[in-house]
Amino acid sequence: MRLTVDGKQMEIDADPEMPLLWALRDLAGILGPKFGCGIAACGACTVLIDGSPVRSCVLPVGGVEGDVVTIEGLSRDGALSAVQQAWLDEQVAQCGYCQAGQIMSATALLDEIDNPTDEDIDNAMAGNLCRCGTYPKIRAAIKRAAALKLARA
Amino acid sequence: MASLGKITRRVFLIGAAAVTGGIAVGYYYYRRPYPNPLEGDLAEGEATFNPYVKIAEDNTITVIAPRAEMGQGISTTLAALVAEELDVPLEAVTVEHGPASYAYYNTEMLAEGGPFPFYDESIMAEIMRGAMGGVGKVLGLQGTGGSSSTRDGFDRMRQAGAAARQMLVSAAAKSLAVSERELTTGDGRITHGASGRSVSYGEVARSAADIAPPSRVVLKRPEDWKLLGKPQRRVDMLDKVTGAPIFGVDVVQPDMLFGTVRMSPRFWQKPTHADLSKAQAMPGVVKVVPIDTTYGSGFGVIAQNTWAAFKAAEAIEVEWGAADYPTDSAAMSARLTEALARPGGSSARDDGNVDTAFAGAPGERLVEATYEVPFLAHMCMEPMNATARLKDGVLDVWSPNQFPTMTRQLCADVAGVETENVRVHTTSLGGGFGRRGEMDYSMYAAALAREADGRPVKVTWTREEDTRHDTYRPAAAGRFRARLGADGLPQAVEMRIASPSVIAGILRRTFPSISPVGPDKSIVDGACNQPYTIPNYRVTGIEADLGVPVGFWRAVGNSFNGFFHECFMDEIAVAGGLDPIELRRRLMKDYPAALAVVEKVAEMSDWSAPSPEGTAKGFAFTLSFGSWVAEVVQVSQTEAGLRIDKVWIAADVGTALDPGIIEAQLVSGAIYGLSAAMSQEVTFADGKVEQSNFHDHDAMRIHQCPDFEVAILENYHKMGGAGEIGTPPAMPALANAIHALTGKRIRSLPLSKEVSFA
Amino acid sequence: MRRAILLTIAATLFAAAALAQEVAPVAPETVPQAETTLVDPTVGLAEWQTIHDVFAHPRCANCHVDDDHPRWSGAHYGETRFHAFNVQRGADGSGFGNPGMRCMTCHFESNSNVLHGPPGAPSWHLAPVEMAWFGKSSAEICAQIKDPERNGGRTLSEVAEHVRDDALVAWGWAPGPGRNPAPGSAEETFAAIERWSAAGAPCPID
Repeated sequence: MRLTVDGKQMEIDADPEMPLLWALRDLAGILGPKFGCGIAACGACTVLIDGSPVRSCVLPVGGVEGDVVTIEGLSRDGALSAVQQAWLDEQVAQCGYCQAGQIMSATALLDEIDNPTDEDIDNAMAGNLCRCGTYPKIRAAIKRAAALKLARA
Repeated sequence: MASLGKITRRVFLIGAAAVTGGIAVGYYYYRRPYPNPLEGDLAEGEATFNPYVKIAEDNTITVIAPRAEMGQGISTTLAALVAEELDVPLEAVTVEHGPASYAYYNTEMLAEGGPFPFYDESIMAEIMRGAMGGVGKVLGLQGTGGSSSTRDGFDRMRQAGAAARQMLVSAAAKSLAVSERELTTGDGRITHGASGRSVSYGEVARSAADIAPPSRVVLKRPEDWKLLGKPQRRVDMLDKVTGAPIFGVDVVQPDMLFGTVRMSPRFWQKPTHADLSKAQAMPGVVKVVPIDTTYGSGFGVIAQNTWAAFKAAEAIEVEWGAADYPTDSAAMSARLTEALARPGGSSARDDGNVDTAFAGAPGERLVEATYEVPFLAHMCMEPMNATARLKDGVLDVWSPNQFPTMTRQLCADVAGVETENVRVHTTSLGGGFGRRGEMDYSMYAAALAREADGRPVKVTWTREEDTRHDTYRPAAAGRFRARLGADGLPQAVEMRIASPSVIAGILRRTFPSISPVGPDKSIVDGACNQPYTIPNYRVTGIEADLGVPVGFWRAVGNSFNGFFHECFMDEIAVAGGLDPIELRRRLMKDYPAALAVVEKVAEMSDWSAPSPEGTAKGFAFTLSFGSWVAEVVQVSQTEAGLRIDKVWIAADVGTALDPGIIEAQLVSGAIYGLSAAMSQEVTFADGKVEQSNFHDHDAMRIHQCPDFEVAILENYHKMGGAGEIGTPPAMPALANAIHALTGKRIRSLPLSKEVSFA
Repeated sequence: MRRAILLTIAATLFAAAALAQEVAPVAPETVPQAETTLVDPTVGLAEWQTIHDVFAHPRCANCHVDDDHPRWSGAHYGETRFHAFNVQRGADGSGFGNPGMRCMTCHFESNSNVLHGPPGAPSWHLAPVEMAWFGKSSAEICAQIKDPERNGGRTLSEVAEHVRDDALVAWGWAPGPGRNPAPGSAEETFAAIERWSAAGAPCPID
């Protein structure tokens, strides 16, 4: 089947029931989205499809309609996205394993809400588990990213 | 005990004098215990100075930080120690974990394994520390755990940087034909100020590496530090915000196959009947193979992709042997209760005469309570995994692990090759928390590699497999009593704690032929060694094997003893009519470091001010891994349930090498503890773990996360750890806050069995 | 006002038992007078019981909630509880979740075939708040189903068709691995609504 991932067209020969995550990781070699739970309970595998956040560990690859964007597709020409830059500036990550998913969810949130409140952040991000407990920094980074986006616009 | 308070100031002064004079220290080569593992594996143009530093002709400076990076920031801090003395900015170095090698032994991890509390600096205690540390060195135990890495690396990594710098300067002096004393270093260059000539480190690296290493190196004085003591930008942060393939699950090797495992859900049991034909016939499946190790038995699937392996593992039809241990949680709990009632046990602390002190105590002066905590899973975000290849008699293992040398040894056994023919490549860890101190996932990968005709196999567990085959934080139960004096202070405290032994558990699965010697300190760690002065004070540990594999879980024994000890102290305060912080002021007066964090957190949290309606605060303190930590948790009642509003933490770590990372670790540790206290438990039915994934063993989410305020103190004269110390006091502080708010004294975790959280 | 208070109390009383409650015996004179009065109310009430067993089943009721929190229930989830991960109706009231975490972030066109994986059906979302009946009594749900203000502006026959034809409703009978389906089938429930309606659509009293 044909997929567009991070702006690149690719042909993937997979069982249509295979979750998108495994098609990306094992077949396409796109390792940014991580495997955490396999049941959409931790958010580590989050990608965007036509801009909407999706847990790729449970979406059958055969059901993918639209352009897939992973963490690897956020930086343009080597420049970090506003969200990634904010994550770097706030030194958010500890083990870092969940952060690709966190950044994708935050990206989706900021695409819809320019200046999210704490409640908006809670509502968007509670599906993304972090066992290192980086939540206070995630909150700060999302606010920083909102400001940075505004400044870049 | 009381005399210990006196030494604090004196030793501090001695330490300060030594430091201001610049420490001249015996250096690695001086008593070189193991060969430099980098020597045999240098790239073209690269030179190595010691096991920690490589410099290439193009001035690429590589620092080996041989401790597992699992989020605690150790690669950054170890690299900063080297960079500081090497006189280069942190951004100028590339940081690698390096190979498994005895040269990277950890002496600090075992140093506190003896029966002495951290503040005991008697000759006996120091001899024990030296001996235990020596064990780590003799074993060449390369390990990351016990919040020991910065303590272990503090001298050694600085020496490595300083020695390399001295050698580079010597070589530059020769090449520029000037005296060493006329040269200065900075930014990776050596400059002759008088002539303005300079050379880069890379230009003289190879000749420098040939110079005999110095037997003495002089380290910078702390006031001259440019990097240490200040927050650094983490060396791995860019990778982690761009989704770089740095974890075990991201390993890619040419011609690689994929796999997974399905192990017996009843521990130590083997399949009694199995039909592999259906699994074997599934699309994408290469092979289904039996696995039989000291960790467990079951099957591995080798396939063309991970998904195919998962599906095939599910399709294996198998029956497993019956459990030879209590099969459900109620039976396990009963066994702990029986153990508590048993006479004897090992008293790690026995001050005064507890038996006499309790004799004839009037009932109104007695406080008695029974506590219990469940088994817990680690739930690292990255499920267990490893990649292995057995080709031409050489086993390569790519593994996100905390113990490379032990991993190498046990994987060699599985693959049937000699230890020297095993190469362990340690990746970044997507969470460790003690779970990745185990060897099972690496051994299973080695077992599958044996069957893969020389091709590498990346073996990833499902979350379900991970949850149900953990090495769990042991369940524990405690029976406590106190006799209060007329002033409300405890005259006598007795604590009896029953739990499975972590050490016995580890030996059973790693070196089953070795029997544990002596009592396991972890059963009472966090209860027997707290800085309280109580005239009659006894803490007894009773080992109770429940058949469940138990292991290191962030803070280990402190993770339950902190809860037991500090909730019971809160009960004593309430019963004696004393404010919980006032109680500590009186009982901790011999320990200034403890008192200082208690006072600090009281001030930060405005403890003495009345809490607003519907909110309350709780306090707890735990000295663990050499650091003194006091926490206050504030909770409030909302319509949706209890909310944790805010947590204040004051921690004395002795010397704070990177306050930014330490603060992050304190917050992280507290959240890990709060998550467990709120809702986590691992329960059993039919000999199997009932929980399987995050829907039934979840952790705190962002909407439940409180605000944090952290203070880092540096009063104590010895450096403490950081990675685990935030966890122990968080649980009792929360439970004590709930008591203050609701009047409900919850003595059994998780708290969600009694109250609901928003 | 008084009625509203009574309903609230009734709702509270029935909340715990809502999923397994018995319909209280009903006095004929209290049956609401619908299209026809020439039928035996016990026949209609038996039909309602069938319908109620479907509507109050967790597969249906867990997403007909008035407090913005869909519910989880079933053998693997402990007692009925809020959907984890702070999942909510959505600040815009749409029922499709919030920016950054929509229902369709995890719930796709069909069920995940992994145990504990998210169930799926087209257009996964919460029922509008006025159509919430989680925790309500049989009598309350019954009255609500007949009230176009609170049933999505439908006639009873449109309600029946909605139950028969809507893909998200149909999920209730095919909820995927590890979940108990609603009793009967879409077709049987459609038929029961038609018969209940023909029987005067009587409602029980609490």
